[in-house]
Amino acid sequence: MATAIEQLTNGVHFLAPELILVVTVCVMFLTGPFFVTEAGVGAPGLRKRWGALALVAIGCAGFVWWTSDAARPLDTGPFRADALTWYVRGLTLALGAIISIILVDQIDDGHSAESQACLLAILVGVNLTALANDLVVLFLALELVSVPTYVLLYLPRRGEANQEAAIKYMLLSIFSSAIVLYGMSMLYGAAGTTNLAGIAEKFADGMPEDSTTLIRLSVAMLIAGLSFRLGAVPFHFYAPDVFQGIPSAAAAMLSYVPKVVGFVALLRLLPLVGGLGVAEAVDGPSARILLAALAIATMTIGNLLAFRQDNLYRLMAYSSVAHAGYMMIGLVVEGGNDDVSGVGALLFYLATYGLITIGVFALFAGISSEKSPVRVVSDLAGMSRIHPAVALALAVCLFSLTGLPPTVGMLGKLNLFFASWGEGTTLGRSLAIVLAANAAISAWYYLRIIGVMFFDSAPAGEPAKLTLAPAVAGALCSIASILLFIAPQFLWEAAVKFVP
Amino acid sequence: MSPATQHLVLWLIPGAPLVAALAIALLGKTVLHERSHWPCWLALATSMVCAILLVTKLVPSTFENADETVMGAMATGYSWLKVGTIDVRIDLRADAMSALMLTMVTSVSFLVSIFAAGYMHGDKGYPRFFGAVSLFVFSMVMLVLSANFLQLFIFWELVGLCSYLLIGFWFQKPSAAAAAKKAFVVNRIGDMGLILGIFLIWDTFGSMDFSKVLFDADNLSLIAQDHPTRMIAICFLLLVGAMGKSAQFPLHVWLPDAMEGPTPVSALIHAATMVTAGVYLVARSTPLFMYAPQAQVFISCIGATTALVAALIALTQTDLKRVLAYSTVSQLGYMFMALGVGAAGAELATAGATAGMFHLVTHGVFKALLFLSAGSVMHSMGDVIDMRRFSGLRKVIPVTHWTFLCGAGALAGVPLLAGFWSKDEILAVLHEAGHHSEKYGTIFTAVYWIATFTALLTAFYTFRAYFMTFWGPERTPPEAGHHPHDAPPAMAWPLRILAIGALTVGAAVAVTHLFAHYFEHTPGFTPIEQHVFHIGLMVQSGLIALFGIAVAWFMYVKNPGLPAKVSQGANFLYDLSSRKFFLDEIFTAILVMPLRGLAHLCFLFDTHVIDRIVDGVGALPRLLSAAPRLLQTGYVSNYALMMWVGALACMGYMLGLFHQ
Repeated sequence: MATAIEQLTNGVHFLAPELILVVTVCVMFLTGPFFVTEAGVGAPGLRKRWGALALVAIGCAGFVWWTSDAARPLDTGPFRADALTWYVRGLTLALGAIISIILVDQIDDGHSAESQACLLAILVGVNLTALANDLVVLFLALELVSVPTYVLLYLPRRGEANQEAAIKYMLLSIFSSAIVLYGMSMLYGAAGTTNLAGIAEKFADGMPEDSTTLIRLSVAMLIAGLSFRLGAVPFHFYAPDVFQGIPSAAAAMLSYVPKVVGFVALLRLLPLVGGLGVAEAVDGPSARILLAALAIATMTIGNLLAFRQDNLYRLMAYSSVAHAGYMMIGLVVEGGNDDVSGVGALLFYLATYGLITIGVFALFAGISSEKSPVRVVSDLAGMSRIHPAVALALAVCLFSLTGLPPTVGMLGKLNLFFASWGEGTTLGRSLAIVLAANAAISAWYYLRIIGVMFFDSAPAGEPAKLTLAPAVAGALCSIASILLFIAPQFLWEAAVKFVP
Repeated sequence: MSPATQHLVLWLIPGAPLVAALAIALLGKTVLHERSHWPCWLALATSMVCAILLVTKLVPSTFENADETVMGAMATGYSWLKVGTIDVRIDLRADAMSALMLTMVTSVSFLVSIFAAGYMHGDKGYPRFFGAVSLFVFSMVMLVLSANFLQLFIFWELVGLCSYLLIGFWFQKPSAAAAAKKAFVVNRIGDMGLILGIFLIWDTFGSMDFSKVLFDADNLSLIAQDHPTRMIAICFLLLVGAMGKSAQFPLHVWLPDAMEGPTPVSALIHAATMVTAGVYLVARSTPLFMYAPQAQVFISCIGATTALVAALIALTQTDLKRVLAYSTVSQLGYMFMALGVGAAGAELATAGATAGMFHLVTHGVFKALLFLSAGSVMHSMGDVIDMRRFSGLRKVIPVTHWTFLCGAGALAGVPLLAGFWSKDEILAVLHEAGHHSEKYGTIFTAVYWIATFTALLTAFYTFRAYFMTFWGPERTPPEAGHHPHDAPPAMAWPLRILAIGALTVGAAVAVTHLFAHYFEHTPGFTPIEQHVFHIGLMVQSGLIALFGIAVAWFMYVKNPGLPAKVSQGANFLYDLSSRKFFLDEIFTAILVMPLRGLAHLCFLFDTHVIDRIVDGVGALPRLLSAAPRLLQTGYVSNYALMMWVGALACMGYMLGLFHQ
């Protein structure tokens, strides 16, 4: 039996993308302070250089990822790479690069090194979540996402609203982490090991009779704690308040990254305790029903609350809540025999949702400036005449969020619908209907924004100047969402490769 | 030709216009400006050359050693949507029918795009126009090249979208915006039928591929035996889709209004190409329709009604483009009449489809010519198109006059011109169907006589428009300026080429039965044993055409006072025709008003019920947090409490507290 250290040493070669990022993080944190004055002011343009360094690091990591072998599972030890890891790594790096581009112009030169470093650390955390094969590693990875997030939210220091948002997120996030940790410790108590493969082995012949209560409690706590990251109702209350106070790069990150780690952690943990799919006995309380109830509550309440929002960031926060609800359907349904699998539909949706939501925030960042910030819906009035290309790209992204053709958002919802309808159970069909109804409701508030952009007249006065980098990044997201509609197959195949 | 070349040629047909559309969209405003027609021209020329290669080389090579599964030239694309049991591929597939149609579509598009460069010169939206035209041609050829029903539907919608964009090209004009909206709404009715039909096909056949649904005769007859009513439902639903797109009565109301778009658009989309998509769909689905004779008879009847009603309306229109628009509707009705004769016997189906598709091709040529000539008239008259405001233009704009005359002759069915041959084929096949069928003989005989009568009306109204415009005293409206000028070269040459086409294409193709011999290789059709000329019918229809022209000459050249007397004498009938049988008013009463009422009801429901619910739900979190707020002041602890309550609820559920 190899020791943990030996396993780690052996594992270095498949941790290469993360190591590249970690080294860059260290370089940024350690050398960053030397480039700024004692008052914390950096040379003009410094932020661009740090941004470029972050992009280069992500690019290198991406290259290593691309050349790595997709399906080469490594059995035990603290890390385990499989199809899910490969998929999540690709998503993280690609979308992380876009967030990094948005971040460049949203931070002053003096704090850019730390901000970019935090972002890279968060990306490492996401990848490690997908790599974890041990409860301890999984928890550490989740915290590696959370802790830099607190710093990233706090660093812009744009007045009280920003600080309030950062503190609020930190306190509630720590609370949720505590619940997750409780759940994990109970799981350890029931299984006697922290190794995920070991736990699976232990439970392979059915749950031990004497620790049923312990396992049930742990499942409830894991779902409740991780629901905070998904933004599921009733753990979503932080979302609108926090989104309202933070710049768009942080909002883009927050609307997406926590969802990835939340779903990945659930996908890793729930199968251990029989919490996925229909395999579980129907009688007695099941995690499946609990998740279904959370999914329905989440998408419905998220959409209804988004209805009346005038602040774009609050609206997008509720929209991210609603989308979490859609995706949770993928955890519940198994799909029919030769139809779409729920998990496949979830992973596909995760990628497309990330692309679109980050695209929306990138475009917000592109048309926003210190003098004329874009925060409420009416700030977008007449955008089709001021910046027609941005308005068009934003319209495409909003179409995609609604789930209308010709955008990939439609395929994402279609897959989830097929998965739940094709399962053939009452629960699956009801979820499919609720999904369709919610998609219809959401059209109202997304299309309203498009209406304001294209039909309202622009306010008088000097229009805001375009910030080029994020606007281009956002436009690329919208183009990608159309291209993925035309050719979705490769993404779909990557998504369905992982079978829990 | 090697498979790789075949792929290239097939993919270039839609690919080139798509690239042009993207290039114009990206560079039109900033770089290309007044040069925006170049990408469009190049792309359409490429498409045309490839289409000619396709029709002359690629497709004939598949006639001899036909691949059982494909039966045509195929270019594989990729699997677009592969989810569970659903597998939708984007492939290109061309057989005799689609190759013939493609040749017409691409060459007419090319000539129209050349004409448009002259016509649209100086317009603010010049790049936008050519971008939209390129996108339209891409969608249209993809529609024709589709290998399955879903792909067909996607591009069916896309051509509809382009049509909508181009009708409303001058969206600043309220009438153009209204016409675009009308076209959009009326077409949705048709599209609803089409998509339901396609779903039903998928449900019945388990596939949407043409090869499985249409060309697998054994499977088709098996399924038709099992689900006879379903086949009828499918055919009627497809037919509704075709009626919307091809402007068949009573869904024809959008087409005349669509003339608000720029004239090249009317020529290209609303005369030659897009509106014939419905005819193509029905002709393509003939193997399905063979199992639904009721639907086929219905096609013929609808076609006859449309042809007659539109021709009657065209008699009194004073807007030159509207006369042509109604004549388009009427001619599309002719094509539908021919497509329905399969009900009279399977051996007639091929002849009917051949006649319909032949008329589609010749009509595409001469109607595009007529519209472009009308556009040229409009161009020199300072955008005036009301025939009461000008006359005697034959000396003022001689090129336009001669080309218009060629087109008018072809449309009227003057012997040996394009329209004569194709219309004659339709009449012949209807005549034969009337004699052949016991069950539906009377109906087809009636349809035949309606068609013959419509031919007379066609000749009359076409030459009425011609005489009103080009004969009589020379008058020009003040908008035209002092010296109205004839078409510049960019507009004149397409007119001349199309005029030669209108004069010759019928004779060249019909006399040798070239078209029919080529067409019968289309999978799903049985080859015709022998081709005969119907000399008696030809003489009859030739005389009818000449008689109609003579009447028009008598009324509008010889006795210019006569039309006014006639219209006074038959006041009611005149009103009926000039007010388009009050169809717009009827539509408003039975469709628009109830829908508006429904919309208002929905609005009331929205404001009074939905909004209340939304307000209520919006207040819910506040209500829920009201109690904790009494005890705690900070929001964060408030939220934390909610989370804790949620977590407790989860635990409670998992421990079975909420279970009995």
